[in-house]
Amino acid sequence: MRIGLLTEGGYPYATGESIWCDRLVRGLTAHEFELYALSLSARQEEGGRVDLPRHVRRVRTAPLWAPEDDGRTYGRRERRHFAGHFRELVTGMCAEGGGGETADLFGEGLYGLAELARERGGLHAALRSELAVRTLESACRAPGARRGAAAATVPDYLTFVDRLERALRPLSLDWYGEDGLAAVDLCHAASGGSAALPGLLAKRFFGTPLLVTEYGVQLRAHYLAATEAPDSDPVRALLAAFHGRLAGEIYRQAALLTPGNTHARRWQERCGADRAKLRTVYPGMESERFTEVGEDEESGDPATLVWVGRVEPAKDLIALLHAFAEIRKAQPEVRLRVIAAPVREPGAEAYLAHCRALAAQLFPDEAPGAHAVGENPVTFEEIGGPEAPTLAEAYASGAVVVLSSVVEGFPITLVEAMFCARATVSTDVGAVVEVIGGTGLVVPPRNPRALADACLALLRDPERRYRLGAAARARALELFTVEQNLAAFRGIYLELLSHSPVRRPAAEGVPFARPAEAYVPGSWADRPVTAGAGDADA
Amino acid sequence: MRGPAAPTSPGPWDSHSEALLKTPALTTEAPQPTSSPNLAAWPVTWRATDPATRPATPTATATARAEGGADAAATAGRRGTADPVKALMHRHRDLCERAVDPLEIAAGLEAHGVTDRTAARFRHRDVFSLADELYARVPRGDRAPARPSGEEGPRAGWAGWTLSALAPGAVAALAVAGLALTEGPVRLAVGAAGVLGLALALAVAVRRGPLRAAGRTVPAAHVWTLWLLAYAVGGDGLLAETMTGGPDEPWDITPMPLLGLALAVAPAAWCAHLFASRARRRLAASRGLDDFAAGTRPLLLATAALHLAALAGLLSLTGFTPGALALGGLLLLARLLTVHGSPDTAAAGLAAACAAEALALAAVLAARLPGCDLLAVPVHALVDNWGTGAVPTLACGAAAVGLLAHATAALSRASAHAAP
Repeated sequence: MRIGLLTEGGYPYATGESIWCDRLVRGLTAHEFELYALSLSARQEEGGRVDLPRHVRRVRTAPLWAPEDDGRTYGRRERRHFAGHFRELVTGMCAEGGGGETADLFGEGLYGLAELARERGGLHAALRSELAVRTLESACRAPGARRGAAAATVPDYLTFVDRLERALRPLSLDWYGEDGLAAVDLCHAASGGSAALPGLLAKRFFGTPLLVTEYGVQLRAHYLAATEAPDSDPVRALLAAFHGRLAGEIYRQAALLTPGNTHARRWQERCGADRAKLRTVYPGMESERFTEVGEDEESGDPATLVWVGRVEPAKDLIALLHAFAEIRKAQPEVRLRVIAAPVREPGAEAYLAHCRALAAQLFPDEAPGAHAVGENPVTFEEIGGPEAPTLAEAYASGAVVVLSSVVEGFPITLVEAMFCARATVSTDVGAVVEVIGGTGLVVPPRNPRALADACLALLRDPERRYRLGAAARARALELFTVEQNLAAFRGIYLELLSHSPVRRPAAEGVPFARPAEAYVPGSWADRPVTAGAGDADA
Repeated sequence: MRGPAAPTSPGPWDSHSEALLKTPALTTEAPQPTSSPNLAAWPVTWRATDPATRPATPTATATARAEGGADAAATAGRRGTADPVKALMHRHRDLCERAVDPLEIAAGLEAHGVTDRTAARFRHRDVFSLADELYARVPRGDRAPARPSGEEGPRAGWAGWTLSALAPGAVAALAVAGLALTEGPVRLAVGAAGVLGLALALAVAVRRGPLRAAGRTVPAAHVWTLWLLAYAVGGDGLLAETMTGGPDEPWDITPMPLLGLALAVAPAAWCAHLFASRARRRLAASRGLDDFAAGTRPLLLATAALHLAALAGLLSLTGFTPGALALGGLLLLARLLTVHGSPDTAAAGLAAACAAEALALAAVLAARLPGCDLLAVPVHALVDNWGTGAVPTLACGAAAVGLLAHATAALSRASAHAAP
């Protein structure tokens, strides 16, 4: 089958961060893939692309960052159409509350604009025209408009119209033809938001089913980014309304949604996704490099705690150091290894220096005898250094792996520690509880004493450590491997394709290329055949 | 690997660490130093139950913060609050006040490490319902609308574009002086060099500063402009020759209007700058689109009048012709329209003026054909009454009036003044 993979700022570009798309494409060799990628910046395009396997048939890219004015302007009739659709869009967007009626209005407006752009083009100029601004103004001032929108002034309208034009650029692309998304059997959007927009239109124009995978919810990312942006309040309100409605429309139209964890799932449910459509598919991680560590009752120094990750304030190393001070009061021979992944951000160095200073202050250097050189019980190392040449060895060196974050999305280091069969102590943030699932200890965040108690309990009990580590490894191998991820998507693809007919014309001259039923007009089956639901004796 | 080198004396290390610990960016994540003083002060300042009497202004909380102090009372205050959501709201005050909907608060809270289990402590099912309550409870409306500033883009480097706007005038003045001082083939060379230099200077002048068209342009407009300028120099003489049966010999060239027009590029740039910056300021201040349009129309008329006055002054120095005045007005309006996003209309206006001038010439020539005498009657009537200068005056003037009529509508739109 032919899968159209829709990405935004990710996969085929070398600078994008979506290794899972690469694994997916390489793993499912039975399908053909077509890539439809939106690039986020000129730098990304210059950064080149990753090597693509042979069964990627076509790659089409479009810049979201460059203005694309095709120079077309509308006549009187087209202007009237545009005004009608745009009014629907902004009215549905500005209306308070997310009832079905307003969502329908938004959707109709969106598809109307898409059809107009497909037939006539010229959306760039039209969206920035006075007509659009006036329509927006009247929608914002209409009774029942949401609170933030009603306060908008002229510069806000202009800014928002500009942003909207940017967000709706996927509507003007030339992907919706016979040589584009029309020839695709299934659209798989690698994230929500703009990337899923072509998928929405493909569903509208050609009835192609849409699958949306969200490891991080795009709407939430928008909110977090908007907090930093210098926009005025009405602009932020309007943008939030637009992205909220767009997310709602995507969730409504998608045949299936695959959130990457329960956290994303909760957001999707909150934004109106139907529970029946949600399938959590955990991200797959390579487990091979950790297999050599294996389960071993004796593995790891029984008096060493290991922390692995990027050193940044959200990881709350301060609390870890304070907890370690408590631990050393009870067991003075314990050591802590902080193994940092290299960070390129400018502020990271300062935080690392701060942590080092605090460690030096809390724990004076210690020497075994009067004539030996002392050493600090807390060591800061980097992966690739002499003590921790690989990630697996870093995990393997300690008996207990600690995670002390206050903010966490999907805790990758925790999963890696589970692969290495380590007993873990982590804070209850993000998806930690979901990932660990009872195979490690969990303490509240920002509670050094509880962290210390949990670590001590594990340090004193080797058998419990072993049991927990083995259980964690078993759990991780079942849930978080690349194989399970691929198997899940393979199944989902087949399930979705079994619901939708293949419309591709069969090759000429091949006898019985299409079954006879294909020529029967109308629906002849009672219900669509679903995978795994066929009767054995039928 | 080891930590930092061992200190030789405790003094500097302690102070260094102290300084680091006091850095706000680093201690925000640590709960004790930042949140406790605020919480301690709550029973005192937030006891008011009526929302109207709640001390919602930031100054009140600032003083409370100052009074709080990191003393022993902090821990006592932390536990004694009857309304834990209020404590949370206070801690995330900025987030709650800035939020445009509950989901934004939910996203922000999660980024600060609040999970569903934390929300359970506030007697909420999940973060979303906690965010709903926060959004509903946070006092709103007393926040001054924060406007992003820093839009005076074109003003930066105004010296550069003023210089480039003065360049055409300077080149034209030099060329005219050269023409006056030289004779014969040298004069021809000077004239050619002057034309080339002027074209170059003009090209530079319209590529910088307020005359620069950032968006789309119509290439044909350059041709129309060239034709109009050429007609201003030699058109009148050609028409006179044609009407008397010529042209048999080189006709009169009048470079002086061109000098006036070249000098007027600088005032034109300043007028365009004035218009753009005033309009932008008005944009920021106006609440509705109609409001903005009503204010911008007189501004445009005033700009056009100012430019015409400046042009008339300059032309009176070099040699006043009504045709040059009308042409100057037409060119300014066309440029303004091009800069503000209506290049097609501008090109159409210029083309209409060109066509009118060419038509006058063609009509006179066509009248020589047998039986076509009537064609030249209007031109003859015009020239007999007001002289040859009446043709460009009428052509450019009519086109300029047409463009002005369009511009009062097009340039008073807010979308014309949006950043490209």
